This record gives sequence, C-alpha cells and structure tokens, in this order.
Amino acid sequence: MEQLKVDFNKVIESLKLSEKSINSRKENLNQFVENGFPNKRVEDWKFSDLNQIISSNIENLRFHTDFEISEIDETTFIDKFAHNKIIFLNGVISKVDFSSEDDTKVLITRDLNQNENSKEVNSLVSLNNALITSYIRVTVKENYSMNEPLIIYNITTKELKSTAINLKTDIVLEKNSSLKLIDLFDDSSENNFINIVQNFDIAQDAILKNYKIDHKKNSNIKYSYNNINLEKNSISENFIFSTGSKFIKNEINCNLNDEYSSAFINGIINLTNSQHHEIKTNINHLAENTKSYQLIKSVLNENAKGIYQGKIYVDSKAQKTNGYQLSKALLLSENTEFDGKPELEIYADDVKCSHGATSGNLDEDAIFYLMSRGLSNQQSKELLIKGFLLDAVEKITDIEIKDLIKNMIGITE
Amino acid sequence: MLTIKDLKANIDNKEILKGLNLEIKPGEVHAIMGPNGSGKSTLSNVLSGKKGYTVTGEVKYFNENLLDLEIEERAHKGIFLAFQYPLEIPGVNTNIFLKTSLNAIKKAKGEKELDAIEFLKLVKQKAGELKFDEKILSRQLNVGFSGGEKKKNEILQMSILNPKLSILDETDSGLDIDALKIVSEGVNALRSKESSFLIITHYQRLLEYIKPDFVHVLINGQIVKSGGSELALELEKKGYESLS
Repeated sequence: MEQLKVDFNKVIESLKLSEKSINSRKENLNQFVENGFPNKRVEDWKFSDLNQIISSNIENLRFHTDFEISEIDETTFIDKFAHNKIIFLNGVISKVDFSSEDDTKVLITRDLNQNENSKEVNSLVSLNNALITSYIRVTVKENYSMNEPLIIYNITTKELKSTAINLKTDIVLEKNSSLKLIDLFDDSSENNFINIVQNFDIAQDAILKNYKIDHKKNSNIKYSYNNINLEKNSISENFIFSTGSKFIKNEINCNLNDEYSSAFINGIINLTNSQHHEIKTNINHLAENTKSYQLIKSVLNENAKGIYQGKIYVDSKAQKTNGYQLSKALLLSENTEFDGKPELEIYADDVKCSHGATSGNLDEDAIFYLMSRGLSNQQSKELLIKGFLLDAVEKITDIEIKDLIKNMIGITE
Repeated sequence: MLTIKDLKANIDNKEILKGLNLEIKPGEVHAIMGPNGSGKSTLSNVLSGKKGYTVTGEVKYFNENLLDLEIEERAHKGIFLAFQYPLEIPGVNTNIFLKTSLNAIKKAKGEKELDAIEFLKLVKQKAGELKFDEKILSRQLNVGFSGGEKKKNEILQMSILNPKLSILDETDSGLDIDALKIVSEGVNALRSKESSFLIITHYQRLLEYIKPDFVHVLINGQIVKSGGSELALELEKKGYESLS
C-alpha cells in the first residue's frame, strides 16, 4: 500500500487536474486503501478471491508507469473488415481514428477533467477512479448509425511488468443511434493487473452491440466492469469471448430503465491449465415490458475454473418482464471446477423468468458414433466441443463479427 | 474377409455373446435374426469397437486381429456400422462431419483427400441416387431429423465412405414402407463382389428387399441355426420359439 501512495502522487503530478478532481481521486484512493482488493469474504467475490490471485501471481505490484512506447504492432489489427480504432497501449491512449465517420455525428472527448467518477460499486471501481491517466468518451449523435464498427484495442507489450493499469471508456448513444463495439485484448505482457471500467448510456431506440474478445493466451489478471443504462425501446447486445487471460472477471450491470428495452448477454468461457474466468451479471428490470436473455457456455480442461453468477432483479413496477438465463458447462477433466450461481429476485407478479444450469462431460456415445466414421478420439472431441460452443456464438447478430469469432474458435464452414 | 471364432462378450459381468462363430466372404450378404436380448446389437458394437465390453475369442478381418484395432482404425480399414439409433450431434454441420470423416479415411489409406468442391460433387451425386434431400446436409447432424431421414443419412454415409464390410443394425426399425424401399435400394446398389454386408434385424420384412445369401439365427448369444434366405420366411411363420 506504501507503493500505491507513492505511485498515486506520481499519477497526480503527471496530470493537469482541477483541485476538485484531485480531492475526489483522494477519496476514491482512501476507499480502496480501506477495502483493498476484494477477497472471498465479499459475497460477490466468493468464487474468485482477487486479493489472493494477485498476491500469488504478481510480485511488487506497481500502480504507475513512466516508460513510453510509440510503436504499435499493426499486425495485431483485425484485417477482415474496415473499422474505427481506439488503441490503448499499456494503458495509454495512443491512437484514435474515426476517419470514416461524420465528425459532427461522432464526438470524442479525452479531457480528464470532463470525466465523471463512476459509481463506486466496489473497491476496484474506486481504484479506477483514483488512478486513470487516460480517458475517452465517444458520443454518437441522434439518428446516426456508425458506418463501421469501432474496435477498442487493449494492447500490452512485454515491457509492462507487475503493473496495475486502469482504463476507462464512456459510450453515449443518443436517440435512435447505433454502434457496434469490439473490445479486443492483445497481450504480450506478463503478470499485470488490468482494471477496466466502461459506462454505456443508451437512449431511446438506440442499439449497442458490444463484443468482448480476450483470445490470446496471457498471464495477466483482469477485471472489467460495465454499467449499461437502457432507455425506452433500446437494445444492448453483449457477447463475451473469454479464453485468453490467466484470470478475468467480466462484470456487467445492466439497468433496463424504461419500457421495451432489452438486454442480451451471451458468452463462452473456454479454458485450459489453471485459468480462472468469471462472468457476473446483474440485470435490473426497472420498467414494464422489458426483456433480458443470457446464454453462457463453458468448456473447462485440466485445472481450469469457470464461474457464472447471473442475477435477474425485477422491480415491483416491472410487470410483463421477460427474463431468461441458461448456463451449460463441459467439464473435461476431473480437476476442473465450475461454479454457477443463478439468482432471481422478483417483486412483480406478472413476469416470466426462468433459469437453468447443466454441467457434465462429453457424450461417450456421440464420440463412439464419430469415431466409427473414422475420426480420431481427439478429432471427435474437438468437433463436439466446437458444436457445443457454436450454440452461443450463433446468438451474435452481426455476421462479420460472428464469422470473426467462429474463426478464432476454429469453426469453418 | 471376416472370421469370427468362439466370440464371447461380457458387459457388467453379464455374458451376452456366448461363443459365436461366423464366416463372411467378400460379396456375401449375411442376415442375423434373433429375438430381443439375444445379443444382436452387442455383436455389432463389438465388431465396430465400442468400449465397455470384455471380449474373448478371435475375430480375423482379412489378416488382422480386428479386436486389437481402435474404433477409427476399423473404420479406416473399411468397417461401417449403420446405427440403430443414429446420434443427434448439435452444432456439428452434417456436410462438415461427412467431409471430415471421408478425408480421415482417405488419409489413413494414403489416398488424396477431397477438397470442398470435389466433396460437394460426390455428395450431390450420392444424395441424388438415394433420393435424399441435400438441403438436410447443411443442417446439424441428425438434429431434428425424422426417423427415416436419420436412417437415410446412415445409408448416405455408407455410400460415400464405400466400406468393405457394412453392418446394418436394425436399420428397418422406425421406417415406413417408402423409406424402407429407398434404404434397401441404396444398400442393393452398393452390393458388389468386394463388399459384404451383415444385416441385423428382428423382422423378416427388410429381407424381402435386401435378399441375403445366408441367414443365421442368434438366440441367447449363440448362432443356433444357419441357412439360406428361406430360413427367414420359416422364422416369420414359426417364430423364434420353435428354435429355442
């Protein structure tokens, strides 16, 4: 914690901040110092003791970096379709490119003094408030649909070691606008802690499609917290592809604030070795005729651990809510662990809500069937696993991005 | 091509096959008939290599000990089992599965694998011969297929993989008369001097369409009587009771 205070002062010195902003950062820092990294005594973290995970994976964690790297390895860019770019390189925004959009319709703010603190839902969000050094807000104006998807690249290089970096993005979609956003991780670094906060405000009739891709194997520890506010008749579609990091917890808090808004959160967790990934969702149905749908598919090998905690809250005002969640897990070795915690908290009486969870191994009879057609045991298992995952991938409504993710899993047609 | 000597198979300490002997030569069609629980499906499972059985005795396939081969090696060497209940495999596209299967066998034989275009041409031709709607092949393997479609899919796989020994396990079960005809015509079209068939069935019905060279009666894990195709008719009249 001494290191944290020293690093905090360096961060403050390096930025031109208003007095008000500095004071608020200090408050947030104190909140973090008081609570520390969440441990398993905190109910939301009982399956993922982050304090323990960080102390056993990262030695002498630092909270400040002063080296600069300007070269970006462009081979890591997606080349299958044209797109807008925001690039975070080791936690610092190094490129913003919206050249194919109308610049009166897409507004970008990078001024840290315009950043409003995120609501301090846990100590990690407080840490993020205290320490962010780069900030970006993207506002899509009324009635504008982006021509191309936006990819936010989160790139880390091998120079980054034992460091905590804090990123923040705000996305504002005005009435009847739309955005496809891919959050793509590309890590060449080892043993860092990456803490991301994203806020989405989605106005009436607007559509957000957000795909989170953590694909490349790496030893970093990550936490991503998303807060999504949905207004009347708006849609948020999320897909989480969780397979790269040593540890990642993706947490999504989604408020269905007004009628006919809907939220879709689908995802796959595909792990080997001692990887440990968690998806946690809170869907808050706060108005009538709102809808939510969640499908999470997990494949666990060796000593991997997967967790899905999905909560659906239905306010007493939220009549005619339609809420659904399903979790299916394949446990391919005896040493894997899957924890599922579905929660329904319902205060309205005219609602349709359901949840389900299954876990098990591959069907031996199916393996026999495939092998009797000449496929090896390995080929048969791979085919069945891809088939198992495909179900969730098929929920992606954007064709280009669906194909991109299918390719990453090795499904070709 | 196939010589079975004193074949015994146990599952969960229960003896199902109790010393079975059978010889199949190239080009021959053998039918095995028997009541429920006589060991018919166990025989097809043991020949195709399904795990879970303790097996003794000898099965020579050409010059190899079949029982020493892995499931997929048996397929590579030309053994095909048409399943009584073909499995539904969600998320696996039928065409992709078929291509993977055909190329796995071709690779094992040291033959050139087919590319997507060559493969589609072959499938189109074979599906046409079997009056099998190709559209179904772009769906997930057997998922939502009717009973008849599943069995036709088995026969289609058989015709594409072109095996030396085809084992048909109760292929007629769940088929209506039209589907039965189409499936039988498919099998008959594959008959040749090199390819042999082992048809496992409860009823004589299928054998009206696929005429066997030999009929064997399997009761309580042993073949109790063998004869020509007329034996099937005799069984239909008198029932299995007369032989047990």
